Amino acid sequence: MLSVLRQVLWRRRISTLWWSLGLVGFAALLALAYPTVRDNSELDKTFAGLPPGVQAALGLDPGSPLTSPVGYLNSQYFANVLPVMLLVFGIGLAAWCISGDEAAGTLELLLSNPVSRIRVAAERAGALVSLIAVLTLVSAVTMALLSPAVGLTNGLSVGRLGAATTATGLLALTFSAVAFAVGAATGRRSIAISTASALALVGFVIEGLAAQVNVLQPIREASPWHWLLGTDPLRNGLTWQAWVLPVIVSLVLFVMGTAVFARRDLS
Amino acid sequence: MMDVGASPSIATKGLTKRFGKLTAVSELSIEVGPGEVVGFLGPNGAGKTTTIRLLMGFIRPTSGAATVLGGSAARDTAIRRRVGYLPGDFRMDPAMTGNELFSWFGELRQDYNRARIGELVERLHLDPTRAFGKLSKGNRQKIGLVQAFQHDPDVLILDEPTTGLDPLIQREFLDLVHEAADRGAAVLFSSHVLPEVERAAMKLAIIREGKLVTVSPVRELLDRARHRLELRFSAPITAELFKGVPGVVEAEVRGDTATIAVDGAAGPAMEAALRGPGLLRVRSAGDDLEDLFVSLYDHAPEVK
Repeated sequence: MLSVLRQVLWRRRISTLWWSLGLVGFAALLALAYPTVRDNSELDKTFAGLPPGVQAALGLDPGSPLTSPVGYLNSQYFANVLPVMLLVFGIGLAAWCISGDEAAGTLELLLSNPVSRIRVAAERAGALVSLIAVLTLVSAVTMALLSPAVGLTNGLSVGRLGAATTATGLLALTFSAVAFAVGAATGRRSIAISTASALALVGFVIEGLAAQVNVLQPIREASPWHWLLGTDPLRNGLTWQAWVLPVIVSLVLFVMGTAVFARRDLS
Repeated sequence: MMDVGASPSIATKGLTKRFGKLTAVSELSIEVGPGEVVGFLGPNGAGKTTTIRLLMGFIRPTSGAATVLGGSAARDTAIRRRVGYLPGDFRMDPAMTGNELFSWFGELRQDYNRARIGELVERLHLDPTRAFGKLSKGNRQKIGLVQAFQHDPDVLILDEPTTGLDPLIQREFLDLVHEAADRGAAVLFSSHVLPEVERAAMKLAIIREGKLVTVSPVRELLDRARHRLELRFSAPITAELFKGVPGVVEAEVRGDTATIAVDGAAGPAMEAALRGPGLLRVRSAGDDLEDLFVSLYDHAPEVK
């Protein structure tokens, strides 16, 4: 059962462990630094003097200053470090799933066995989702354990921390699905990685600018960044926008990429 | 030889594959029956690997058909359970060991024969506990061979199987091929060097620039093939000695040594040599693939 999926988990076990340790380490630093930030009201004045667009790009808004738990976590973690870490991990793994394995010359060997291309694609997508979920869970559990001790949960429930982490994991999954689909359809790992990374970067910049530039307002609605940052799950919990849209878009991408992969010539 | 009427285990019919403007394989029709070993011979870039990838379903034909066990290996995964495949450039996850690959593939094929794997590993002198990335070229190839033979498949499709193997292991490989054929498996294996296939195959399918040149029994081809002989005499000779001798198409003399190219029977050339000044030594320079092509084209202009 699921021997293709299990093989990916086994193959990635060491690297996933290192990524987990990295996330735990960063979360610990973040928690340890909070008491110092919390007691330094000068910081709020400094940041309040910044242009609103820069504040938005940093994940700050007037309602939650840097010294508050929400402002601190959004600006130092959920609007940048965590999504970037999960994106780098997810896009790299997703591009490997079909195109990376194909470029390494090992995919054909697997497909000489009685497994269909659709099964390989589906189980590898499953492994991708599982490993992103593992890192998301590691991050959520670490934050939940450390936050109460440093007062990061003042006015903030552990459930909201989980909601924000989940929404971030779903953002990473959406762009990973782009890398997976492009790689599956083209067989080109470099195109898969560059397409997904470029979309993620452009989406991030648009989300930051859209606060200022009205023309960008309609565009941001289509961006996974807006589904995450625009709904502010740390304050509002996991709204439907933050999970239904990423799940549907990822699914469509997985299916489309697999459909092309099932028919094309391997390179 | 396959029985008349028995359906071939491997068959291509009018198989054509174009990549853009390049025609890699053109109107290729070959058959391999149960118990038959066919050597698939041609220079590098002739279309051997493309044909094999078409048979395995990794790429789709532009026209024509490639069938394995009467069906399509591309669509029917059950067929692939009965196929052993060795790619021309065998590569796997460098961190994985032979044993890990064998048990993983055993699971995928729902046929994990531990005893058979142990026997293959022993016969090929392979250490299955070392990671692939740490093995030499020859040992990597052995892992490829074990995974192709481990489930005793009905069809073996092997792309340049003896690459990197030392002569002792090559002999063991030939035994494996013959054992597989004896129990009824169809074997197609490609090569770009003649000596490698002439000992293993019963039939040769020769391909050049994507087109089939000929399919003939090995013995017949070798009898027709041009071969080179090096003859040393006890005194200097001249090329006159071989002039007009039937079958001798080239004669190069340097002092007491003559190198001659002979098409077909070697008898007349040897008789001529015996008329020379004390024949000391005869050495066969072996059969070169290019020479085989030349003689094929010379003697069979219809395939040109």
